[in-house]
Parts: sequence; structure tokens; C-alpha cells
Amino acid sequence: MTDKSNSTEPAKTQTYILFGVAGTSYAVLSRQVQHMEMVEQVTPVPNAPPFVEGVVFSRGQIVPVINLRARFGFERARLNQRTRLLVVQHGTRSIGLLADEAREFLTIADTSIQPPGDAIGNLSGNYLDGVATLGERIVLILNIREVVESTPIAAA
Amino acid sequence: MTERDPRFESSFMDDYFAEADEHLLAVRRCLLALDGVRAADVSSAVLEELFRSCHSLKGISAMVELREAELLAHHMESGLRAIRQGEVAPDAANLETLLAGANALEAVIVARRQGQVPPSEEATIAALRRLAISPAGTGTPVTATAPLDGPRGWRATFVPSAALVARGIKVDTIRARLLEVGKILSVTPNVQANGGIAFEFDIQTEDEAALAALSPDGVFYAPAGEPAAPVTAEAPASIDEPSSGPRAREVASAAPGNFVRVDLGRLDDLMRVAGDLVVTRSRLEDTLRRVERHVPAREFRLLQEHDSLMERQLRDLRDGIMRVRLVPVGEVFRRMPFVVRDLARDSGKRVQLEIAGQSTEIDKFLIERMMDPILHLVRNAVGHGIETVERRVAAGKPPDGTIRLSASTVGESVIIEIADDGAGIDLEAIAQRAPAKDMRTEDGALDARVLLDIICASGFSTRDEADRISGRGVGMDVVRGTVDELGGTLDVDTERGRGTTFTITLPLTLAVIDAIIAHVGDQTFAVPQSAIHEVIEVDPGGLRALERNELLTYRGRALPMVRLSRLFRINTTTRPRLHAIVVGTGLSAVGLLVDRVAGHREIVVKSIGDPLIHVEGVSGATELGDGRLVLILDVAALSRNVRERPRSGERASA
Repeated sequence: MTDKSNSTEPAKTQTYILFGVAGTSYAVLSRQVQHMEMVEQVTPVPNAPPFVEGVVFSRGQIVPVINLRARFGFERARLNQRTRLLVVQHGTRSIGLLADEAREFLTIADTSIQPPGDAIGNLSGNYLDGVATLGERIVLILNIREVVESTPIAAA
Repeated sequence: MTERDPRFESSFMDDYFAEADEHLLAVRRCLLALDGVRAADVSSAVLEELFRSCHSLKGISAMVELREAELLAHHMESGLRAIRQGEVAPDAANLETLLAGANALEAVIVARRQGQVPPSEEATIAALRRLAISPAGTGTPVTATAPLDGPRGWRATFVPSAALVARGIKVDTIRARLLEVGKILSVTPNVQANGGIAFEFDIQTEDEAALAALSPDGVFYAPAGEPAAPVTAEAPASIDEPSSGPRAREVASAAPGNFVRVDLGRLDDLMRVAGDLVVTRSRLEDTLRRVERHVPAREFRLLQEHDSLMERQLRDLRDGIMRVRLVPVGEVFRRMPFVVRDLARDSGKRVQLEIAGQSTEIDKFLIERMMDPILHLVRNAVGHGIETVERRVAAGKPPDGTIRLSASTVGESVIIEIADDGAGIDLEAIAQRAPAKDMRTEDGALDARVLLDIICASGFSTRDEADRISGRGVGMDVVRGTVDELGGTLDVDTERGRGTTFTITLPLTLAVIDAIIAHVGDQTFAVPQSAIHEVIEVDPGGLRALERNELLTYRGRALPMVRLSRLFRINTTTRPRLHAIVVGTGLSAVGLLVDRVAGHREIVVKSIGDPLIHVEGVSGATELGDGRLVLILDVAALSRNVRERPRSGERASA
């Protein structure tokens, strides 16, 4: 488990993009996000892992789309005007993350992020890097590697 | 900027690899041109080019700090200098050393390219060093260049035998006789491939007749720089390139032309833009169709004319870019003589390599991907196909096996054939390895598809021990995988005792293909037209269930069906008629059952690389005019699926 508070300068802050999945706020480092877009349609890929919504073309690239609701164990929701696709960089791969909504940029000091304790061992617990407390708000910091790779990919 | 820009560095390395490749190719071409040429006939132009290429390799390797390559190139250069200055003869042994140097250089460069630790090439460097500094070692003094009226250099070879000993002829006897004939410069005992020993005397004499007189006593001779003819029991591979004409001329023609070297990535960008244009135009066409009612007929006709003009121009543009990407397959073929030569020597076989159609052009990307598979098939042909000399002679065949590597263009496809006149594939041995498969059809003929399925299964080998020849690099499963991935097909034709032919059919280029658009439930798929035999209408009531398969009796045969809705778990409503897309012919024909086929489109193929969406039966994706992404079906994998299903059924019930 990573411990951010020890490994970085006390005053360091980083920019995150905030998004919502099933009523909860999540964040990813903005430098990991290539771009964000609205989605009308995702082409299903037969026999892909269950949390994979399908595939889209994004800026000329073929991008797999992970449905974060499905990934965290929630019911899938219908795509709508507020649905956003966050195309994130993971190594050399571009992966689309399907979120219910995504609106703001936020600067979070590393000191306000704690490791995800057992208390937050809820549905998305396995996919978190940490928990940021910003006044009254709680924001869960997403670990993209875990989201993309954590379960074995269904045999092709 | 003081830091090295990694992007700059990587493009710098790409340049290095490209340039090193060219020089290595030149080195090998030159070495081949020198092979078997009398020392006196060695063209100084070829030597010069060899020297220059090694020198360049040394320079560019130093620049990218690839020390191992720099060192190897340095020692090759030194060896060549000695040859050029007449201190060392370009004889078979020395050429072998230089060739080993070139192979080592390539290994080191390939290792760097793949980010691996370079192999140790100490032994090769040591051999090269011996070549450069000691003319009396593996090297042979060049005396062939001496004036013809003076004493000439010869290499006399004596192979002792029981019969000769019985007549009192031993190596000392021969040595004494040779001393009478001329001046012995050196004697080298050589162990033969058959375990015997041969003594090589380098001798200077004016009296060739005296040498000839020794032949009844087991002495063979040849001008220095050439191996004495009868001692070829160790089977040097004779390499023949009928279509390339005299070797020396091929080398001389490497003149600088009016060429630019273009990074493949830039061409890809251009091709992508052209591909995007194709999509945009089909969107425009869709829009045109929708607004037809609102536009005066005369104006609409003009719009349509512009549209179809644009379609033609786009096609020209694409063809133009495509042509730039085409390179002659000869670039890959040219390496094969070395491979065959090395393998034949190692395995003690005699192999002639015939190459045809080297100028056939194919997409650069495709041929680069095909390099390893072709190499593998050629290795297989030498290792498994061609028999030993004894077996061939016993079977009444010429002692030299022939491997024919050819390429040709047929329509929009390139066909590459690797044919050998060897033993053919041992079907009995294969049947033992795969007892579950019945390879015979009703009339007893062999089903090539099934045979391919077996030999291309991962890990398949008819030999228990992975031998040096076939046991390295890629396997048949990778060969077929690569061909499939590139949208091509692999076929095999084998006949016991007559040989085996592998045929690879590849599209001329990737990027844009013709496809049939098909619907299953609410989903749409594209099927490459090149794979489609025909599209038929099917009455679902006429389908017979047979265990887990469905069969349709069609033209008197049982045609297995893949119901895409079932395979892909897509909800569909019951329909009175379905369409079946028939792929393959004969026994390998399979019908892909879809709801309906909705016409034909030109599609821009994008490959699917990400493992999350890399699923069996899907080879890529494309964008239709309406902006939707549509998956392209991997027809080869789908039809394999139906062929393999009975086996998995057996396993489940066992």
C-alpha cells in the first residue's frame, strides 16, 4: 500500500480531475488524463471481461471502455448527456473510463490524502490509491493500474 | 537543452538500426559474391564495398555507443584490410570467419534493438583477430596473385584411408613427395564432418602436372583460395539464385539512386489521414442521400458527380501512398541464402535454394512482420523437409535437395511460396501426436486444413528434441498467427516422398479493404470480403442440430454453421430468414449465421491491440460513415472455432 504522506514534500499539491460514479466522488491525476469527452454509443465487444463496456473511436484511436459502475460492482446505468468518458494513459495504452459525470479540476495537497484504510473497504476499495479529505468532502483517489489490470483478463 | 530528448534518441536509434541493416545486407551480399570465387578473380570493387560497409558499421555503432558491434566491425575491417593487401587469401575458411562476424554483428544489433543484453561474441572476435594478424593460421597466404609463369599457390588435400595405408601411403609419404614437387608453406590437419581427418598442404610450385600425378595416392589439389573439390563430404551448401544472374554484377549495381528514405511512421500518418478522408467522404455521401429530397434534381446530380469524382481521387491518393510503402520482397529473400547455407552445413545436407519473384512488391509493414515466419518455414524446409544425401540417393532423388522460395502478385494479393522437394510431412507421425484428429476425408484424401490445424497448434513438433534448426525462434503457431493477423491465409500441400509446399497469401497492403456489413441483433459487424466465398439465404427450419454444432445441407454437403448470436451472446428475435456468410471452400467451409447482410463497404482497418478488447473472433475495428465503430470479424479464427468445437466436447464428457 502506498503511503503518499512520507514520500513527498509536505507542501506539494497536484491537480486532479473529479468525477462521479454512483453518487461518490473520485479523482484521477489530471496528467494521467489525455482528454475527456461525451459518449453517445459504445460498441460492445463480445466475450470481453464483464466490466468492459466496449470500444470507441477517440481521436482516431481505438479505445477500450471500462464501465466504472460495473467495475466497482454497481448496477450499470444508461448513457446520458452527463455521462463522460475519461481517456487515461496507462503505460503505452489509452483506456477510456466511463463515469456518470465529470466536471471539475481540483488541486489537492498530498498531505490531505491518506492511504485507503479498512474503514473504506467498500466496493471500490481495491481500486484506490488513497482518500482525500477536503473540508466536508471526501474524494477517493483512483489507482488506474488496479482499475485496468487487477483481475485476470478473460481468456481470449 | 542539456538533457537528451528521449524521442530524439529513439528516432536516432531507429536511424541507426535502419542504416546498420543496410550495411549488414551489403556485407552479406558481398561475402556471398566472394564465395567460391578464385582468389585471383576476386573483384576489388566487392572487397572495397565490404571494407566500406564494415567501416561504416564501426563508425555508426561507435556513435550510438554499441561497443560490441563497434568491436566486431573493427575486427572485420582489420581482416578485410589484410585480404585487400594480399596478406590473407579470401578462401572458404576465411570467408566463413567473416560471415560469422556478420552474424555476430547482427545478433548484437538485434539484441540492442530488443533491449536485451548483447550475446558474448568473444569467440568470433578471437577468430577475426587470428584472421587479421596471422596469415599462416586460419588464413592462407595469397600466392595466386603471383605471376602465372612463376610458382603458383596450391592447396593439396590428403585424406588418409585404410586402403592407402595398406599401400604404404601415409601422410609422411605424401609430405615427402610434395617436398619434391614444390615448397610447402603450411600443413593443417582438419577434422571432417564424418569424423575423419584431412591434411591440407599449402604448397607453391610451377609443376601442376606433378601434383596431378599424386591423385591416385589420395591427394586432391586446387588453386589456393579454393577448396579441393573431392573433399566436400562436409557438404557445403551450394547457393543458387538463378534470377539474379552473375553474383558480381548484382553487387556492382548497388549504385546510389534517386531515392529518399522515409520513416514508415510518416507514411502511416499520411495513410491515416487518407483513411480519415475516406470515412469523411462516406459520411458526406450519407448526408447527400438524406438531403436528396430537398435539393433540385439538377443541383443534386452535380453534387453526386463531385462526390464520385472525390471518391476516385481519394482512391488514387490512397493507391499512391500505398505504392510508396511497397518494397520488393527480395529484401527479405536475400537473407535466405545465408540461412540455408548455414543450416545445410550444420546438418550435413546438400541444399540448393532457388529464389524467384524477388521484385514482387509488398507493403513494407507486411513483409517486416513476415520476416520471421518465412525464416521459420525455410528453416523447417532444411531441417524437416530435405533429407540427408544418403536418403535422397537411396530414394532415387538427386543428392542436392531444392528449396524454392518464390513470390508473385495475383490481383490484390501477394503469394509467397516455400517449397521443398524433400520427404513430405510424415502423416503417420502426426496422427500419433494428435490421435483425436481424423485427417482423412471420406475419399481418403488428406484434409490440408486439418493438417495445418495440427502442425500449427502451439507447441507442436514431430521431433522429441528441439534441434538447432527448427527448435528456435518462432513456431508454426506463430507463423499462422502472424499470417492471420495480417489478414492472409496459410496453406500446405504435402506429398510423401515428393516434398512440401507452404503457400502464404497476403493482402498487398493493409489499411483499406472491401467488406460485407452484417447485422446480428442490434449489433453490426464487418466481414472482409476477401475471405467470403458466398452469401446465402437460410431458412432456420432447415438447420439440423448435431451435438453442439448446427449443420446446413447445402449443395449436397453438410455445411457447419457458426451462429454469431450464440457465440457472441447477442439477443436476437426469431426471424423467418437468416443469412449465412460462407467462408472457405470444400471441407474447410463454414457458414457464419447472421440476421441479415446489409451490403458492401470499403472500410479502413484499425487493429485492436489492447488486451482488454482482444477477443477471439475479432480482428480489428472500423468506423462506418455514421461515426459508429464496427468490429471486423476474424474469419479464420471463427471457422477454426467450429472445427475445434467437437474436440472440446469430447474433453468435457471425458
